[in-house]
Amino acid sequence: MSKEEAFINAIKKNEGIIYKITSVYSNSKDEQKDLYQEIVYQLWKSFDSFKGKSKFSTWMYRVALNTSIAHINKGKKRINPVSMDFQLLTIPDENDTLTAERLSILYAHIKLLNAVEKGLILLFLEGKSYEEIATITGFSKTNVGTRLGRIKNKLRFQINK
Amino acid sequence: MELEQIQALWDEMSAKVDNQNILTDKLIIDMTQERYRNKISKISKYESIGAIVCFIAAIGILVNLSQLDTWYLLATGLFSAGYLILIPVMVLRSIIRLKSVNILKNNLKQTITDFTKRRKHFLFMQRLGIYLNFLLMFVSLPVIVKLMDGKDLFESDTDVWYWYIPIMAVFLILFSRWGYGHYSRMSESAGNLLKELDG
Repeated sequence: MSKEEAFINAIKKNEGIIYKITSVYSNSKDEQKDLYQEIVYQLWKSFDSFKGKSKFSTWMYRVALNTSIAHINKGKKRINPVSMDFQLLTIPDENDTLTAERLSILYAHIKLLNAVEKGLILLFLEGKSYEEIATITGFSKTNVGTRLGRIKNKLRFQINK
Repeated sequence: MELEQIQALWDEMSAKVDNQNILTDKLIIDMTQERYRNKISKISKYESIGAIVCFIAAIGILVNLSQLDTWYLLATGLFSAGYLILIPVMVLRSIIRLKSVNILKNNLKQTITDFTKRRKHFLFMQRLGIYLNFLLMFVSLPVIVKLMDGKDLFESDTDVWYWYIPIMAVFLILFSRWGYGHYSRMSESAGNLLKELDG
């Protein structure tokens, strides 16, 4: 299998991860597309450096989250407008009004968190262990636990206010 | 909504999202190519144009250095040319440093720390440039007048000081106030990002 084919397969298998990260770190569909494209580009650029020591998805979370942080650092102006046309799924799904409403509330509240908190809660909701979260973020396992406890309380308080 | 409900909701959404097939082979390859092609345009356009203008002005001064026939005109000429080369180079370097954070190898914590430090340095350079522009305003005037008009401002009877300084001062003050406010806000947001790590 060529490098290109391997990359395409890996991305297709994990495209949901990119979708979820870009949803949390962007404020509009255009911004989300721009970030989505940037993440795919960064993953391609570093695909050679993925040695398989960690799970592909763990490596992908790390690169995608770092790219999102870098994206925030670029400031509000769009540096590189997306010329490519692709459609991102509209979440929440409009077929289920109640789920849609609850999801939009959840997204709105996650977006209120700061950049670090967003990353941590996203990894937690994705079912990552404290150890994996620690590897991806660089915080110690204990620190991840403490921070997550605070974030969960904050999120609960925000939503139920 | 309780945490269990949040988790259930996230899992439900995840199941939908993980099964979506937005990306085609072609789209993935196009995405990587598109970014590659646009890479150069990402290096700050405005700062690059500004640097080119400064370099041209510096070359203009250096080429005509022999016309600056007194020690003080020569000194102001050399200072202006040096300033016009050094400051843009320093600003461009800080931009390049900002863009070269290794987001592929770093973890989230390192990325935030690196970015914030480099961003603060970039903002410091921008701010320094704003203050030094006031100095350049005074120092470059005798050079400009000598090279454009052949007159020595320190010896000839001229009213250029009376209109040039106030006009330039008003312009620079307005520009600096705008710039300072802009950079202060950016600097604050960079600082906040770093604080998030301590939280």
